[in-house]
Amino acid sequence: MTQGAIPLDALDLAIASGLVVVAGITSLALGTGLVPRLAVASLRTVVQLLLVGYVLEWVFGLDSAPAVMACLAFMLVIAGRTAVRRAERTFRGATWRAVLTLTAVGLGTSLTVTALVVRVDPWWNPQYLLPIIGMVLGNTLTGLSLSLDKLLEDLSERAHLIEADLALGATRWEAGRDAVTESVRRGMIPILNAMTVAGIVSLPGMMTGQILAGQRPIDAVLYQIVVMFMLAAASALGATGVALFTWNRLFDSRHQLRSERIRKR
Amino acid sequence: MSDARPSPPSRPPQSGLSARGLALAAGGRTLLSGLDLHVAPGERVALLGPSGVGKTTLLRTLATLVDPAAGALTLDGQPPGALGHPAWRRRVVMVAQVPAFHDLTVAAALARPFAFRAATAPFPEARARDLLAQTGLDPAAVFTQRARTLSVGQQQRVALVRALLVAPDLLLLDEPTSGLDAATTARVESLLAETPALSQLIVTHDPAQAARVATRVVDLAPYASPAPGPPSPEAP
Repeated sequence: MTQGAIPLDALDLAIASGLVVVAGITSLALGTGLVPRLAVASLRTVVQLLLVGYVLEWVFGLDSAPAVMACLAFMLVIAGRTAVRRAERTFRGATWRAVLTLTAVGLGTSLTVTALVVRVDPWWNPQYLLPIIGMVLGNTLTGLSLSLDKLLEDLSERAHLIEADLALGATRWEAGRDAVTESVRRGMIPILNAMTVAGIVSLPGMMTGQILAGQRPIDAVLYQIVVMFMLAAASALGATGVALFTWNRLFDSRHQLRSERIRKR
Repeated sequence: MSDARPSPPSRPPQSGLSARGLALAAGGRTLLSGLDLHVAPGERVALLGPSGVGKTTLLRTLATLVDPAAGALTLDGQPPGALGHPAWRRRVVMVAQVPAFHDLTVAAALARPFAFRAATAPFPEARARDLLAQTGLDPAAVFTQRARTLSVGQQQRVALVRALLVAPDLLLLDEPTSGLDAATTARVESLLAETPALSQLIVTHDPAQAARVATRVVDLAPYASPAPGPPSPEAP
């Protein structure tokens, strides 16, 4: 038996916030010093989610392609900046390379799903496109930042090995290939782990949300499978894209490793 | 003068490695400037100079691993861009003072350069074993050992063998015997002396070694830029 979503009111939220208070009391008792951070994080969750809820309601109501594109652009820039900031090292031009990667990968995979699988009409329908690209960006930026972090670490700390290969006539690709593939592998780990345990250890968020909203579990599962495949493709392409962009920036056309362009935060 | 001797008349004037008006910088500081250097085919040149003068940076520059701050390089009259940098580095091979090896056996480490696109021949395993023996290493024992587990002196010899297998025109050797005892140093010097067609540019701190292994010595001190810091009280 299924029923539609049960709407929540302020009282429901107040009761739920009691759970965070319990977590706070536990932290206080253990002296973890995390209470202020927990309070700020909880407040941010409320403010950010309410804000995004109102923005989405407004954008849905506008029914305007330019407004949806503006939302997309904002999301892509924030995701790119966040991905680069999570890495321990960076280089000049990393942010726009991350944004470009996320734009190509995010739009490519999201539009494939909305236009070819779910067959949304119009293709930019914000009710589908924005949540889907939000999921894609959230997952891809994790893979992308892990990939970027690993590659910059290798190009800094294993520079002597890479130069040893270059000194023996390796091309920049031959010298950098191991670091690039290792970084892509690192970037793929979260989504591979998520796919491996999906439905066994945890129910994925989107599927849970659909079931709570009254969807038949089997319909929710079909959506979730599509989403998992989309996220796997996005993570792989995102990690690969940023690794190749970074490799191209840090090895020049004279087949030299330019590790001096890397800076630690 | 580093290169007062004219090139042999039997060779074209630009044969060998030439560096003209070279200036080197590292970490925003100029190390050397105004350096003209020519290494003719088969010539063995020792580079001397105080610590920090830029000897290693000079070798890295000649191997085109870093760019000079000023000046130009040619090999047989051709700049690195015309030959292609990987092809240049197959002909001008640098052996670092502290060699770097991937986590591979000695055999795999020696074979690695032959998997690169610039390789023109398969890995000559028999010659590799022969060269290892000539440097005093037991090929049967070290071939299957992880290169990183060897001592620094053993790694230096494996790195030298790896460079010789590539069959370059010019070897750039950075303190090649710094981790070796006197007997093994003599073996290595003898091996280098037995390959007369191979040009060599050898960085050493030891003037006696320079005299033994080189046909010419270049002192880098006259090209050194003054080190930064407060002026010495003895300075005029």
